[in-house]
Amino acid sequence: MTEQIDKALAREYEAGFVSEIESDTFEPGLNEDVIRRLSQIKGEPEWMLDWRLKAFRVWQEMEEPDWAHVDYPKIDFQAIAYYSAPKSMQDKPKSLDEVDPELLRTYEKLGIPLIEQQMLAGVAVDAVFDSVSVVTTFRDKLEEAGVIFCPISEALHKYPELVKQYLGSVVPTKDNYYAALNCAVFTDGSFVYIPKGTRCPMELSTYFRINEQNTGQFERTLIIADEGSYVSYLEGCTAPQRDENQLHAAVVELVAMDDAEIKYSTVQNWYPGDEEGKGGIYNFVTKRGICHTNAKISWTQVETGSAVTWKYPSCVLKGDNSVGEFYSVALTRGRQQADTGTKMIHLGKNTRSTIISKGISAGKSNNSYRGLVRMNPGAKGARNFTQCDSLLIGDQCGAHTFPYVESRNPSAIIEHEATTSKVSDEQMFLCQQRGLDPEKAVSMIVNGFCKEVFKELPMEFAVEAGKLLEISLEGSVG
Amino acid sequence: MSEWFSNALIRAQDLTGLVDQQWMDPVRTKAITQLKNTAWPNRKTEAWRYTPLRSVERTTASVKSTENDLSQLAPVVIPGIEPIEVVFIDGRYCAALSSGELPEGLSIVLGSKLEARDELLDKLSAIKPERHLFGMLNDALAQDVVWIKVGCGVSIDTPIRISNLSSQSAESHVKAFVSLEEGAQATILEMADAEGQTLSTGFTEYDLAKNARLEHYRFALQTGDNVSVGGSHFKLEEGAQLNSNIIGFGSDLQRLDTDIIYAGENANAKLNAIYLLDGKELFDLHATVEHAVPNCVTEENIRGIVADRARAVFNGRIHIHRDAQKTLAELNNRNLLLSDKAEINTKPELEIYADDVRCAHGATVAEIDKKALYYLQTRGISRAKAQVMLNFGFINELIDQMPNEVIAEWVRPMIRSRFEQMEVK
Repeated sequence: MTEQIDKALAREYEAGFVSEIESDTFEPGLNEDVIRRLSQIKGEPEWMLDWRLKAFRVWQEMEEPDWAHVDYPKIDFQAIAYYSAPKSMQDKPKSLDEVDPELLRTYEKLGIPLIEQQMLAGVAVDAVFDSVSVVTTFRDKLEEAGVIFCPISEALHKYPELVKQYLGSVVPTKDNYYAALNCAVFTDGSFVYIPKGTRCPMELSTYFRINEQNTGQFERTLIIADEGSYVSYLEGCTAPQRDENQLHAAVVELVAMDDAEIKYSTVQNWYPGDEEGKGGIYNFVTKRGICHTNAKISWTQVETGSAVTWKYPSCVLKGDNSVGEFYSVALTRGRQQADTGTKMIHLGKNTRSTIISKGISAGKSNNSYRGLVRMNPGAKGARNFTQCDSLLIGDQCGAHTFPYVESRNPSAIIEHEATTSKVSDEQMFLCQQRGLDPEKAVSMIVNGFCKEVFKELPMEFAVEAGKLLEISLEGSVG
Repeated sequence: MSEWFSNALIRAQDLTGLVDQQWMDPVRTKAITQLKNTAWPNRKTEAWRYTPLRSVERTTASVKSTENDLSQLAPVVIPGIEPIEVVFIDGRYCAALSSGELPEGLSIVLGSKLEARDELLDKLSAIKPERHLFGMLNDALAQDVVWIKVGCGVSIDTPIRISNLSSQSAESHVKAFVSLEEGAQATILEMADAEGQTLSTGFTEYDLAKNARLEHYRFALQTGDNVSVGGSHFKLEEGAQLNSNIIGFGSDLQRLDTDIIYAGENANAKLNAIYLLDGKELFDLHATVEHAVPNCVTEENIRGIVADRARAVFNGRIHIHRDAQKTLAELNNRNLLLSDKAEINTKPELEIYADDVRCAHGATVAEIDKKALYYLQTRGISRAKAQVMLNFGFINELIDQMPNEVIAEWVRPMIRSRFEQMEVK
C-alpha cells in the first residue's frame, strides 16, 4: 500500500513555469543604500525611509531564530536581490488593457481571474508580481462602498495618515528577525481599509507570484476593519520551479476594531522543491491580528507548498468578548519541512479562541504544530479549545506537536488535545472494496481528515484547496 | 554566569584526586569539562523557560564538612512499613541510619567500597547522557554513590527507601544507581526532607533488565525556602515494567526530571504524578519518554492544583523514534487553578517519526467546578470544606491507583491537610 501512496505523492508542481518577462532587478546585496534606492523608486515619504532604516539597524543586531523544528543551510542575505519589477510596470498601467499580456497570461495560467469581465467570479484581486503590485481589480465597485483596496505602496501616497498610524502597530519592527528584515525591505503588498459599519461587498484577494531568479519576496499586508465592519480576504501564492532556494518573508497585520470581523484565508502553494529537497521557497512569515472589543479574527490556512515553512498566524485578543480562530491544514511531502501553528494571547474578559490544526506528513517530510495559548491575569472567563491532529503517510516522515499552554487566570478554561494516526489498512481496504482506487481512497480519507478546516474556507477556495491536496497527495499512496 | 556556578566548578575541581573520591574522577572530570562549555540558563533556555534560577544564585546553603548530626534527622515513619533504608544526610551516605542486614539477592554498596568500581563507573550517568546543567553538577559534586542491586529473578517484598535528608542551610548532592537484573522485582521509594534554606540535587538512575518489574515512588515534599533539583531516569529492557508515582509540593524551587527510555520491546511504563502548590512555591516537572524500540506502551497521568501565588510548570515530551512502530503512548495533564495570582505553564510535546503508532496527549487548565461547589454547599457543607472535598476527589483518583495500599493510606491524610492549607484565597 505504501508504494501506491508514494507513487501518488510524486506529483508535478503545476505552477512551476517561468514567465518570460523583462524585469528591472537590483543587484543582489543588502545595505542602507539598497534600502534608500528602494524607497526612492517607490517615491516614499521621508518618515517611511527612516522607519525602514531603523528596522534595518535593529535587524542587524538580531540573531536568526533557531528554535523551530526545521533544518536548512544558513541563508546568505547578501545573495538575494531585494527588488524586482517587470519592466512594463515602469509606466504604471492605468487599467487592465495596458498591462503586459504576458503578465496576464501568467495569471490566467494560474487560474486567477484578473480580467474584470469575469464578473461571475466576484472576487477583487490585487496581483503582486515579484516586488510590485501589477493590478488591482474591481476598484471602482469597492470605492463605491467606501472600501479601500490598493497596493500598499499606493496607500503610502494616498492615505499616509492611515498607513502611518497602523503600520507596525500589530507586528512591531523588533518583533522577530524576519519581521525586522521585512520592515526594512518590504516592496509591496495589499492595503485594505473597511469603513465603519461596512460589509465589504465582495471577497478581496491578493495573489503573490515570485518569478525572477535570486530574488526574495517581502510583501506587507495591512488590513484595517473599522468598527462594525466585515471583510473576507484571500491570499494565494506560487513560484517557478528552480533549483535554488528563494526567500519569502512577509508580514501581515490585521486590525479589527470594535465589533469588526476579519476572515483571512490562505492557500499557500509556493514551490516546495523537488523530491530530494533541492530548491523551493523558504516561507518565513509573521502574521498577527489584534481584536478590539467584540471583534473577531479568523485565520484559515491550507499550506501545501514551500521547502521550509515558519509561520504562526496569531491573534491578540485585547478587547473583551473578542474571538480568535485558527484553522489549518498543513501538508508536507518529499523533503518539505513545516513548523507552523498559532498564538492566542487572551488579554480581555470573556475572550474565546479555537484552534484546529491538521498536519499531514508524507515522504521524508517533517510537519510540526507549534502553538501558544496564553491567558493573562485579565482574561476572566476566557476560553480556549485546541485540537491538533496529525496523519502520517509512510514511515519516513515525522509529525510533531509543541503546544505551550500558559494560564494566569483561574476562571479561564483551556483544553488542548492532540492525536496522531495513520491512514489505516482497514480504511484503505474498505474504500478499495467499494471500488475506489488507492489514490482516490487516500485522497478521500485525507479530505475527511481535513473537513473541519475546509468548511471554514470560502467556497471557491475550498474547492481549490481540496484539489490542491489531491494533487499534492498524488503518488503518496502505496 | 552566576557566581554560585563558578564556585561550584571550583569545588568540583577540588574534589578530583582526593583519596576517597579518586575513583569517581572519570565521571567528575567529564562533567566538569561539559559544564565549562555550558551556559548558565536564562529565560531563553528552553528547559528553564518558566523556572528562574534566582534562588540558586542567592542561596546561602553550603556543603557541611563536619560529621553528620544524627540527633535531629531521621527518615519519616510510614505506619505499616519498615523499609530497607538507604539514608543520605547532607549529601553523605549515613551507615548508622541505613539498614545493615539485607534480604538475600539484594546488595546495597557504597561505590567507594565496591570492588567492581569500574563496572559501576561505566553505568553511571549513561542512561540519560544528555542532561541539563544540574544533572552534570550532580556528577561533578556527588561524593557518595550508592549502588542498589537486585539479583536475577529475586523479588524483594519490603520497599527500599532512599532518603535525602538535609540539615539547616546544607548543600547536598546525592546519587544512586539501581539495577534490577533479569526478572527481578522491587519497590523503591525516593524521599527528601529538608529544614530551612537548603540546596540539593538528587539523581537516581534505574536499569531494568529483561522482564524486571519496578514499583517506584518519588515524594518531593519539602516546602519552604529550599531549592531542590533532581531526577529519576529509567531504562527499560525487553518486557520490563515500570509503575512510577510522583508527588511534589513546591518550594522556592523544586525541579524534577523523569525520563523513561525504552531499550527493549514489549516493555511498558505508567507514570502518575501529582503536584500541589501553595504560597509562592514553584514546582517544575519535566517528563520525557523515549520510545526507541517498537511495541512499547506508555501511560502518563499528571494532575496539579495550584493555589495562592504559586507557579507550576509541566513539560511532557514523548519522542517516538523512526523504528518504534506499534507504540502506544498517552499523556494526560489536568490542572486546577485556585487563585488569580497562581500560574500554570504546561507543554505536552509529541515528536513522532514512525507511522504505525497511536499517540495522544491532552492538557486542560480550569478552576474548580462552580456548580459542584454550589451543590455541596446546598447540602450544608461549608465552602472551605467543599473545596477540600473536590480537590481531594480530583487527586484521589491517582492515589487510588498506587499499587501499594499502605503507602496510599499514608499519603491521603497528608494530602488532605495540604488542601486545608491551600484553601481558596
